[in-house]
Amino acid sequence: MRRLATFLLLTSMLASLVAGCVPVLTPAATQVSTPTPAPTPTAMTLTLPGKDWGYPSPFAFYPRGPGYIRMSLLFDTLTWKDKNGIIPWLADSWEVSEDGTQWTFKLHPGVKWHDGQPLTAEDVAFTFDYIKERVAAFKWFTTVKKINKIEVVDDHTIVLYLEEPMAGFLIDVAGVVPIIPKHIWEGVEDPAKFTDKEAVIGSGPFKLVEYNKEEGRYIYEANPDYFKGKPAVDRLVFIKVKDEAMALKTGTVDAGFFWGKDIDAVKELEADPNLEAIEGPSFWVLQIIFNTEKPPFDKVEFRRAIAHAIDRSKIVEQVTHGGAIVANLGIISPGTDWYNPNLPAYEYDPSKAKEMLDELGVEDLSLTLLTAGKFAREAELIKADLEQIGIKVEVKSADWGTIDGLLKEGNFDLVLSGHGGIANPSILRSPAWPATGYKNDEYDRLFEEQSRTMDEEKRRTLVWQLQQIIAEELPVLTMYHPKIWCVYNPSKLDTWFYTPGGVGSGIPTEQNKLVFLRR
Amino acid sequence: MRVAQYLITVFIVLSLNFFLPRMMPGDPLSYLTGDPSTDMPVIMSEEVREKLLAYYGLDEPLTKQYRNYLVNLAHGDLGWSIYYNAPVSSVLLGSFKWTLLLMGIATVVYIALGILLGALSAWRRGTKTDFGLLISVFSFGSWPSFFLAMLLIVFLSVKLGAFPIGGAKSPMSSQASGWKRAADVLHHLFLPCLTLVLTHLSGVYLLVRNSMLGVLGEDYIRTAKAKGLREQDVLLRHALPNALLPIITMIAMRFGFLIMGTMFVEVVFAYPGMGTLIYEACITRDYPLLQGAFLLTMTFVTFFNLAADLLYARLDPRVRRA
Repeated sequence: MRRLATFLLLTSMLASLVAGCVPVLTPAATQVSTPTPAPTPTAMTLTLPGKDWGYPSPFAFYPRGPGYIRMSLLFDTLTWKDKNGIIPWLADSWEVSEDGTQWTFKLHPGVKWHDGQPLTAEDVAFTFDYIKERVAAFKWFTTVKKINKIEVVDDHTIVLYLEEPMAGFLIDVAGVVPIIPKHIWEGVEDPAKFTDKEAVIGSGPFKLVEYNKEEGRYIYEANPDYFKGKPAVDRLVFIKVKDEAMALKTGTVDAGFFWGKDIDAVKELEADPNLEAIEGPSFWVLQIIFNTEKPPFDKVEFRRAIAHAIDRSKIVEQVTHGGAIVANLGIISPGTDWYNPNLPAYEYDPSKAKEMLDELGVEDLSLTLLTAGKFAREAELIKADLEQIGIKVEVKSADWGTIDGLLKEGNFDLVLSGHGGIANPSILRSPAWPATGYKNDEYDRLFEEQSRTMDEEKRRTLVWQLQQIIAEELPVLTMYHPKIWCVYNPSKLDTWFYTPGGVGSGIPTEQNKLVFLRR
Repeated sequence: MRVAQYLITVFIVLSLNFFLPRMMPGDPLSYLTGDPSTDMPVIMSEEVREKLLAYYGLDEPLTKQYRNYLVNLAHGDLGWSIYYNAPVSSVLLGSFKWTLLLMGIATVVYIALGILLGALSAWRRGTKTDFGLLISVFSFGSWPSFFLAMLLIVFLSVKLGAFPIGGAKSPMSSQASGWKRAADVLHHLFLPCLTLVLTHLSGVYLLVRNSMLGVLGEDYIRTAKAKGLREQDVLLRHALPNALLPIITMIAMRFGFLIMGTMFVEVVFAYPGMGTLIYEACITRDYPLLQGAFLLTMTFVTFFNLAADLLYARLDPRVRRA
């Protein structure tokens, strides 16, 4: 029995050893819950929830919004955006030629890289050249392709010559491409694989202290020499969190970010007197993609009948509990500069839908509705609506890789899926938005024309026409746009806001770097 | 001979590692063009798409890719992860060390505890101890691990504040001293480990108890008792070693599945590890990473099966002679 006893003793010792660590290591973040609004002179650490989005160098982050945001804390662009729209950033001012093909930028003087070297027009010219040469290796900055030539006038002046006028230039190029230091990247052949410490030397408000891939952790430190002044947040930490609401309640994080169906959690958190919330647009749309090459989905009358048959507001109510709005049939996000509010409505009317089907002679139709598991409830409601007008629906779930493969092959009937980026007209390019198989020369011509139209009013008319075509032709039938929320602890930081049209080329985020700078 | 059998198995599995991921619909670039669960689709022209395929060597004929894969593997090169944009070996190692720590400790603890409690139950068969153990081990074991994990988080982390709600370390722990860092890691490890122990315990416990009951009825036990040996000597020297034979195989299999077995717990505790990594590699169709992950899993499983076979032969003369 002695050996048994020894073993028990050892196990209990191990247990107590682990348990004994408890008082020593209560995480520092738990202090947050005491509401002390007065700013303290000690270092301010802001902890945010997140996950791994890749090494935050300009070419190694995963090509998604949050990856770009993590990079944007280290690197600056020529222009940026605040609450009201485009603002000067690395460039103090700019001019564009009559024909829209020549852009002259005056750089802000005295900007320094994290390693102390000055940022000059040479670096800016190098950046555009470098990215243009390697455009295939990047998934994010392909818009630089239209730059023909770059000219350095003096240390602080640069002229970019474009192949053709580019309406979105200030946002899609000047506001997106991070300026990188020539003295570091000059000799780098494969930028995606360059993940040394030097790869994150930028000019931005923060410096990277630590990045851990498997734990999804980023630690940033304020750049005291930042040209816009030292940030208000001394240390910015991103950690991987499973349940953001719980992490907020326990003070593990200082803000949480929520989406669409999370609305119930948001309402609960808003009731907490120590927390506040802001609401914004997600620039995201859930939609039914029709296989427009396959009968009967190739007939526009059929697609319109479907539009009449589906009660979209019921889906918004029952599935998202009001965490979304009924979608613009022309895709572009309501509330942005480009939104067309005067589109056909296709009111919910099953008997009219049935009549339309009868006119088309569609009988005994059965189809497959393919969707990602996330949207299974939406798919079930759509199925119920369609069965009401006599269409048999089989709902199938698959992961995105499978759905994408089937979309590319054209091997599907209806797909319920979504995408973001709908604050920016460039998302309307066909066939990049996933209306596989839909072809319309007039549409493509209008798209090209708007992308070259420098006059904003004229461009808007064209973008409205594009939305009109989508709403009439219905290559896709949009369902809803989710709302997003930022719930935060105002005693830590209360400068949160949503950028109109999004950060970069349209990332819907509350993590615009301005939030972390001094007001 | 047995080793040769294992080598053939390894080669077959290596080939499956290569071909199975490629048989899934979609390709690694599907995930770069945008995915419904994230925000911004990347608009990719055919031209960029082709260049990217070439960049990752995915434009080559399959036979050539297969040959490259085998050649690189022979040189110990696992390739470059497409989604994570890093060498496969470093991505795997980063997650594997956490899985090894968590699952290693949990597996040792639940096996030891299972043997101990199983033996105790069998020895005290029919008593209140046996009954109590049976009920409690079973009730924990029948809960899904993620449910138990969430209960533990709600009560011990949120209500009591005794443990962190997730992660493997405190964010700033890398600045702390060595001992504090170790303590921090253990502190974060405790709840996931407890969850795994409680949910996995029942299998070992039950097997040991049954096997023990069988052995305790044997003649040689009666003989040992008749010789006047003390109770614990009969239990530990005569009964337990014989009862443990079938358990060795199970232990080996448990260790083999160690890599994959933690996914739910990893997700609930936001704990880094192989389960989540393999899941994400699957979703993103990251062929090189999938190959590497399966290779690692396979090596683990075969290694422990081989070890069990060899150990069995040492422990049981009947197998050695056969």
